[in-house]
Parts: sequence; C-alpha cells; structure tokens
Amino acid sequence: MSDLASPTTAAFHPKESVRAYRIVQSICVAIVALVVISPLFMLLIASLKDDRFQILADMGSFRAFWVSDPTLNNFREVGHFSGELAFGRYLANSLFILTTTVISGLVVNAMAGFVLAWGSLPGRAVILSVIIALYVIPQESIIMPLLIIVSRAGLSDTFIAQILPWVASPLYTFLFYQFFAQLPKELYEAASIDGASPFRIWRSIYMPLSLPAIATVSILLGIETWNQYLWPILITQTDYARPISVAIATFFGQDSIYWDRAMAASVLMMIPILMLYLAFQRWFISSFVGSAVKG
Amino acid sequence: MANLSIDKVRKYYGAHEVIHSISLDIADGEFVTLVGPSGCGKSTLLRMIAGLEGISDGEIRIGDRVVNNVQPKERDIAMVFQNYALYPHMTVAENMSFALKLKGENKATIAKRVQEAASILALEPYLDRLPKQLSGGQRQRVAMGRAIVRSPQVFLFDEPLSNLDAKLRVQMRSEIKDLHQRLKTTTVYVTHDQVEAMTMADKIVVMKGGNVEQVGRPLELYDRPANLFVATFIGSPSMNLFKGTVTATGFATADGVLPLPAGSHGAAATYGIRPEHLTIADDGFPVEVVVLEPTGAETQVIGRFGQQQLVAVLRDRVDYKPGDIIRLKPDLGCVHLFGQDERHL
Repeated sequence: MSDLASPTTAAFHPKESVRAYRIVQSICVAIVALVVISPLFMLLIASLKDDRFQILADMGSFRAFWVSDPTLNNFREVGHFSGELAFGRYLANSLFILTTTVISGLVVNAMAGFVLAWGSLPGRAVILSVIIALYVIPQESIIMPLLIIVSRAGLSDTFIAQILPWVASPLYTFLFYQFFAQLPKELYEAASIDGASPFRIWRSIYMPLSLPAIATVSILLGIETWNQYLWPILITQTDYARPISVAIATFFGQDSIYWDRAMAASVLMMIPILMLYLAFQRWFISSFVGSAVKG
Repeated sequence: MANLSIDKVRKYYGAHEVIHSISLDIADGEFVTLVGPSGCGKSTLLRMIAGLEGISDGEIRIGDRVVNNVQPKERDIAMVFQNYALYPHMTVAENMSFALKLKGENKATIAKRVQEAASILALEPYLDRLPKQLSGGQRQRVAMGRAIVRSPQVFLFDEPLSNLDAKLRVQMRSEIKDLHQRLKTTTVYVTHDQVEAMTMADKIVVMKGGNVEQVGRPLELYDRPANLFVATFIGSPSMNLFKGTVTATGFATADGVLPLPAGSHGAAATYGIRPEHLTIADDGFPVEVVVLEPTGAETQVIGRFGQQQLVAVLRDRVDYKPGDIIRLKPDLGCVHLFGQDERHL
C-alpha cells in the first residue's frame, strides 16, 4: 500500500506549488496592470471634472481617481471646429493624417516588400541591405533637410507635408518583405499560371494572407503618426493642418494651465489610437508571438 | 490538347549547366513521366515547360507555338504542385474558379465548369470548405480540380503525391490515371518514385545529372534498360548486378561462375538479373539465405553469393532459415549484360 500511496503524496506537492506560483504571478500582473492603467484612468477622471484648480489639488492623492459629479463640459469647450479651442478640427486633422498615412503606408510598404520578396529585381540583395541600413537612421536626423525640401516644394502647412515623408519606411518594407518571403513560393507560381498579374497576386493572394503583418504595420505606423510632434510643429503654422498632438502642447505654454481642458483634449487624442489598437490587437499579438516562435 | 516538343533545351545557373541539351517529343494526349533521383533536373525541366524557369538554349513548343518567351499564364498549361499550392483564404470553389475569373469568364460558365470538375473529382460536398478543413487527398483533388476547370492543353504534375501517405498515394495514383484516361490531356508528370512512373505513364523519361538516360514505354525500360543506371533505377527490388568477365564456362565473377545465354557478347563486364528471374533449381548457383521477407503473394529472399548480396523474388511460399544454402538459377532469356561503358550489350 505504501508503494501506491507515495506517488500520490508526491504528486500533491507540485500541484500546490503550481497554484502558489500562479497566485504570485497573478498578483504581479495585477500590480503591473495597475501601474500602467492608473495614469490613463486618472486622465479620464480629471477630464470629467469641471474645476481646474480642484484637478490640481487632487493630484497626488486618491481623489485623483474619483469624480463625484462628472460632467462633459470640458469636452464641449474643446470640441469646436474653429476658434481658439478648435480641438474638433485638430482631431479631424489628426484622423485624416492618420488614416491616409496608414493606408498609403500599407500599400507602398507592402508593394515594396512584395517586389523584394518575389520580384525579379536586379540588385535585390543590395537594395535589401540598404533598406536595413536605413532603418537605423533616426527620423530626427533627416528632419532639417526634409524641412528644406518640403518648404522649397511649397508644401509647408499642408496635409501632404505631414503624410508623404512617412509613407515609405524601411522598417515596414522589411517587415512585409520578411512576411511575404516566408509564404510558399508555389502560391506565386500557381497564381501566375492561373493568369494573375504580379499586382493581382499581391492584392488577391498575398495581402489577404498577411493580416498579422498588416495589423502590426497599421498599429506601429498609426502610433508613430499619431504621436508625431516635432515634424508637425516645424511644418504647420496655422490651424489648417495642425494635428491634435501639437495643439495640446499650446495649453502648456500659457500663464495659467487649463488642466480640465487639457485633460479632455488628451482623452480625445487617446481614443482613436486606442480603437486602432483594439481593432487589430488579435493579429498584432499573434504576429509578435509568431515572429518570436519562428525566430 | 496539344503535342509538346522539347528541342535541345539547356539550362544554366551561372556557369553551371543543369540541363544538358535535352530533346523530347510528347504526343498529343500522352502521359509522360519524368523520373530520376533528386537533383537530376526533372523538376527544372518541368518548370521550364511551365515557364517558371527561363530557357538558356533550345526551344520548347506547345502545339505549333514556340513558348520560350511566353508568360506562364499564356502557355495554356495547368500545374499541380507537390504542396498543392492552394490559396488558403479561398474556399474550394474559389480556388477552382480563380483562373476562370481572371480570364473574365461569366458567372454561369464559371459555376458550370467548377461543378463539372467537382463532380469528376467527387468534391461537390466540399466546395464551401477552406483548404485547411480538407484531408491531404482532398486537397490534392482540389489542386487537380483547379487544373481541370481551365481545360488546358497540357497538365504538369510536380511530384503531386509525395506529401501523401502510402495508402492514399496508391489511391490517388489510380485517380490521376483514370482522370487522364477520361480527359486525354497531354500530361507531364514528375516523380522520383519509379513505381509511380511505371504504373501511370505511357512513356517514361529517365533522367540523371541533367541528361536523359532513356525514353520508352514502361515495360521497354524494364525489359531492355539502356544502361546500368536505368537497369538499377527501374524495378523494385532493383536488378542484381555482378562484375566479372565472359569465359568459356560462363560469366566468371570473384564469387563464382554464373550461367550465360548462348552467344553472349564477349565484352560484357557486368551481369544483371532481375530478382523475379531467379528460381530455385538443383543445378543453380549456391546462395546463403540472409533474410526472408514474405509478403503473402511472394517471398523476397535476401541472400549472399560469395561476398555479393543479391535478392530473389519467389512466387512459392518457402520456409528457409538464415544460413541455409539454396540454389538459384537465372532465367537465361532474361539475363542482361553491360559493357565497360555501362551500356546494355
């Protein structure tokens, strides 16, 4: 009997330790989540408070996470399309820049990646090396020459100036190239025998199979575009094409900071990018997990 | 349908020549198998016919048209790939109709042709499924369906059964053959499996190192191999070969003398006999039994003649033990003799 009993007892301990490990793990995850979410929650709560002095007074205490009489007044004040607080317009500008940049970025980078992966392009290896090398050059280092080019082209204070320079990206071209290159070559060959042109193969076969890559590029390029600050501050002079990221900064140059409006504007700025992430997160995460597993 | 003509075709990768001036004529409606070991150039040749590889020299004609510089989609061919190459995001029906849509066929025609192909291949219940929801055999049938709907002049198969298990391979083999008999479309089929080649083809092209070793009907190749390579490549178990010289008493090897048919060529350097052409006889040469492999219908005896291993396939059920000495006699009408240059004499 003792022979039979001992394995059962032995098996009990690992289960217990696994449970304890899970509890500790859950607590750690909860703490990390709290640290990440609390500033966002505080921002949302503050945007619902009407009194900017109260917001300032509440910061640093638990009252920052509570609102007794929530109001949307701050959103009403900043949600105009003209005038001093035309955050509705800035938001619309940002959304237009975001949508156009992401869609054009997907098309341009995916096409470039496709040609690099499957096209009969002379000097393909050299082009690929150059693209990888370009990736390490920080955006800020090309800003001054870019500013001169855009100004001389007469594109200052336009949407094109904020979209065009960031559509083609070595990182996203390489990302698409890598994704396409791992799909079987026979798909390309089968489609070309079926009568498809390279463009049709890209559009009808490779793009529908590339949702993880599309999601990853959409989110990364979306965040990058949404958070653009230095470039739009240099290139925009009027409200015409000014994005919300630049507009929010104007709050903090004033003598008295309107925290209530600044918080509402920040919430407005946060919502679209959060929605973009939520829309693509399943593929975004799967692409990251996939690339981790496949190396 | 059309005949296919390959005329002195060469293929270079850089300075390296992988296809050495191959010429072949494939008649209208013929089923031709390109067979050979890995790296012999059979798939490269098929891809050159398909237009997926360029032609360095020579000419390929489909019907009366030289297709050297014609795009794959304009060659009027259909190809079935080893890994099926089905479009994973499209249903079976969409996979099959893709080429017709690109051709601009109307919806009614597309639906009719897809339905016909699905009916031939018993794919009707699966038309709305995605490839991942199908078994290997069903996927292979979809790949064939995709080829059939286009009614091409030439079917090209690139080792289509390699990914299937043994049982399914046998089943699909007869399905492909049956399909060819019904459609009578000119077919070029690449395989490294000589059994597949023997059972399916009207004509076999045996390749080695980018060269054609022999072209002929399956039994021609089996009964009269042009050289040692074809002799050993075609047939399973493969032909028994013995090195030696022709003498007055027979074919003298290091392990003993083997009987020769009357009037044998004096220059023979290799003696070949297929396993099924050896029979038990008291006046045969002595062989020590090493392993016995009964398959039910026949028994394979793996034995040793001196230091040389050989295989005999016996129709009778025998009960030898390893170490037993048996006597095997070759059917003299089926002895193959090869010269120093490895060519059949």
